[in-house]
Amino acid sequence: MATLEIKKVRKNYGTLEVIHGIDLFINNGEFCVLVGPSGCGKSTLLRMIAGLEQITKGDILIDNQVVNNISAARRGLAMVFQSYALYPHMSVRQNLAFGLENLKMKIEEIDRRILEAARLLRMEEYLQRKPGQLSGGQKQRVAIGRAIVREPSIYLFDEPLSNLDAELRVATRVELKALHARLGNTMIYVTHDQVEAMTMADKIVVMNDGIIEQVGAPLELYNKPSNKFVAGFIGSPKMNFIQFDYLPNSLKEKAPPNSISLGIRPEHLSIKDENSLLLNVETVEQLGSDSFLYGTTSGEQKISIKLNYQTDIQANQSIKVGFKLDDAHWFDKDGIALTS
Amino acid sequence: MSAVLKFLSRTQGKNGPALVDWISYIYLLLGFLIIFLPVLWLLLNSIKSQFLLQKLDTNILPLDYDRVVRATVFGPEGKEIFIMKDMPEWVIYWNELRDEDKKNENNPNEFISNYEGKEYYALRTHLGLVSDHAKKLIKQKNLPEWLIKYPSMFPDAKKEYDPQEFLTNLNEEEIRLMSEFLGIKPYKPNGFTSQILISAINPETNKLEEYSVSRLNNNKDTVNARLISNPQGGIVKLQTQDIIVNKKLRPSWINYSDPLTNNVRGMSFDAVKCLSNSLFVTIVATIITVLINSMAAFALSKYKFNGQIIFFIIILATLMVPASVLIVGIFKMVSMTGLNGSLWGVIIPGAATPTGVFMLRQYMLTIPDELLEAARMDAASEWSIYWKIVFPLALPAIAVLGILSIIWRWNDLILPMIAVSTTKTAYTIQLCLLDFQGEYVAQEHYRLAMTVVSLIPTTLVFVFLQRYITTGIANTGIK
Repeated sequence: MATLEIKKVRKNYGTLEVIHGIDLFINNGEFCVLVGPSGCGKSTLLRMIAGLEQITKGDILIDNQVVNNISAARRGLAMVFQSYALYPHMSVRQNLAFGLENLKMKIEEIDRRILEAARLLRMEEYLQRKPGQLSGGQKQRVAIGRAIVREPSIYLFDEPLSNLDAELRVATRVELKALHARLGNTMIYVTHDQVEAMTMADKIVVMNDGIIEQVGAPLELYNKPSNKFVAGFIGSPKMNFIQFDYLPNSLKEKAPPNSISLGIRPEHLSIKDENSLLLNVETVEQLGSDSFLYGTTSGEQKISIKLNYQTDIQANQSIKVGFKLDDAHWFDKDGIALTS
Repeated sequence: MSAVLKFLSRTQGKNGPALVDWISYIYLLLGFLIIFLPVLWLLLNSIKSQFLLQKLDTNILPLDYDRVVRATVFGPEGKEIFIMKDMPEWVIYWNELRDEDKKNENNPNEFISNYEGKEYYALRTHLGLVSDHAKKLIKQKNLPEWLIKYPSMFPDAKKEYDPQEFLTNLNEEEIRLMSEFLGIKPYKPNGFTSQILISAINPETNKLEEYSVSRLNNNKDTVNARLISNPQGGIVKLQTQDIIVNKKLRPSWINYSDPLTNNVRGMSFDAVKCLSNSLFVTIVATIITVLINSMAAFALSKYKFNGQIIFFIIILATLMVPASVLIVGIFKMVSMTGLNGSLWGVIIPGAATPTGVFMLRQYMLTIPDELLEAARMDAASEWSIYWKIVFPLALPAIAVLGILSIIWRWNDLILPMIAVSTTKTAYTIQLCLLDFQGEYVAQEHYRLAMTVVSLIPTTLVFVFLQRYITTGIANTGIK
């Protein structure tokens, strides 16, 4: 049980700065997801929290204690690695016990914690096996179990689901969420997958290029992205952006001043005349429950539309697509969201 | 068993062996022979008798020939050469027998009482009875005591005595005995050499006759032989292809039993001491080598520090310095630190090897850093990361280094020579083997046998450790 505070943290590799001063506060018991494209510095930030990377500037505080110079071992955190990093020469039981033995814990206590974790993660039957004899999902459980037995104040996850197949990923996602509900610990989770971020997080931190773009609850980010990057990153398919100059005059009038572009999510577009754009359909994808239309509007602006019904619209057809003004996002020349 | 047969008889061709099968099997057989023949040759030579080895016998098996004795007896009439057949083995091999066996199992005095004349004289010399008989005679006839010491005196000392005057009162036989004992001309110690008995057609008579030869060499066209029925007739040359040789298998186990029981004539060979010294050096040095090298490799592969590359290059650069250049330096270091004469002087100078550091570093680079980070998160100290994570995961490479180190150390001759050559009690087996060939003695039969014994430990080590080379246990844990 702990809070985490990051104050003006910077990280340099030689002369190259990769984290440009980050401030973040994570509450006790919060499930916080760091999300961003690859290379945005989210893993580096997590490793700095863990103590595996030195901090160039700034402070990291756990429970209001500065931990900058405290080694990874003494911070009381546990981390689940992307590759699981199980010790290949030890059995599952030894893998779980290793960290506790290093803390000179009593054998009875070690056994108790291992049994508890094994029951929680349903891995009693393969405690004696070596990691090489386990499937991907089982290894994942062991990796999480290794964190659980430590009873850490904060759990750190570094893209833990990226090595699982799609089906298992969804199942594990649900399990992780349930685990968080049961344990109630603070968890920090790094991913590049916005679906994971949306489904699991209490709080999402969107990072790009070494800075934080926006912090907020999943729906807050979806509904009120504070800039064009967040708007484009959260939501699938991506939000459509149309340059202001190519908008019909009827729409230009309704835009807030200084608007440079309009953002509208594919699922918010529908085939109607109100606030409409003329669209040349190029591709139609029918998924049964949903239909996706891809096309261009004036000025070769690319548009995609998601319809939640089956449609008879064909490629090369021209249609009018409209939206509710409330669903529109307007951005100025720096990409900052404007309120209409 | 049937599975093994099925595996071995598998072919690439569908109907019987194809060309590829033939080539593969011929290649395998050739490789096997190239590797195995020298070992086999060593094994079989190690049970050949000293006689055969001295005659540079080229047979694969320890085949001994029918032997005869060529005796040379000196008398007032000059030298007489003759052949003696049908000697019992213990007489022929008398000089190769152990002292106890000579005394316990045979009675030379009783044996030679069956002979007389020149054969008696020859046997008396060969069986070492001349001095016994002479000493008895000196006592019996009350001759002066100094006669007993006379044969071993320096030439200057001999001038002060005149043994001739005491011989005048003796009979012919007694004069002969005393003259042989004292080495008075025309008597000389009689010769008694074992020779090979062969049969061949006598070119003069065209009859099959027996000859004795001192050496058989199949690479030469002719053999120098002496006709047994007329030994004084001198040497004749026989065509090698025409001769008939009788051989029988006679492995000489004393090659092994003598040195192992410290029964080598003329020197002290303590097999237990030699082997245990080598064992100590090998085990301790290998443990130290593996520890030091893996620790250095761990630091070089898993830590980032200033001068990392430079250290690595310096370590590698020492590979380019030939070992022989270092001999004097190592000798000075060993003697200045007072380690000479101690086994530690053998162990310590060779403990850190650039090859080992390089090999282990390259292997440890393949161990993922995430494992170390996971261990750090698991509150492991740097020592326990090394000892509990990196060391076990590098075991395949460490086993290779271990095997190499064991073989290097066991077979090493240079370092023991530098460090302990002056201290006999610290000799390793390789130094001990060297001892069999001295300035005056060459006991190749013992050396070959003990070489075989010295090969046993390295062979066993390889048999038991080689599976570690092939198991890669490190690649299984990270998905």
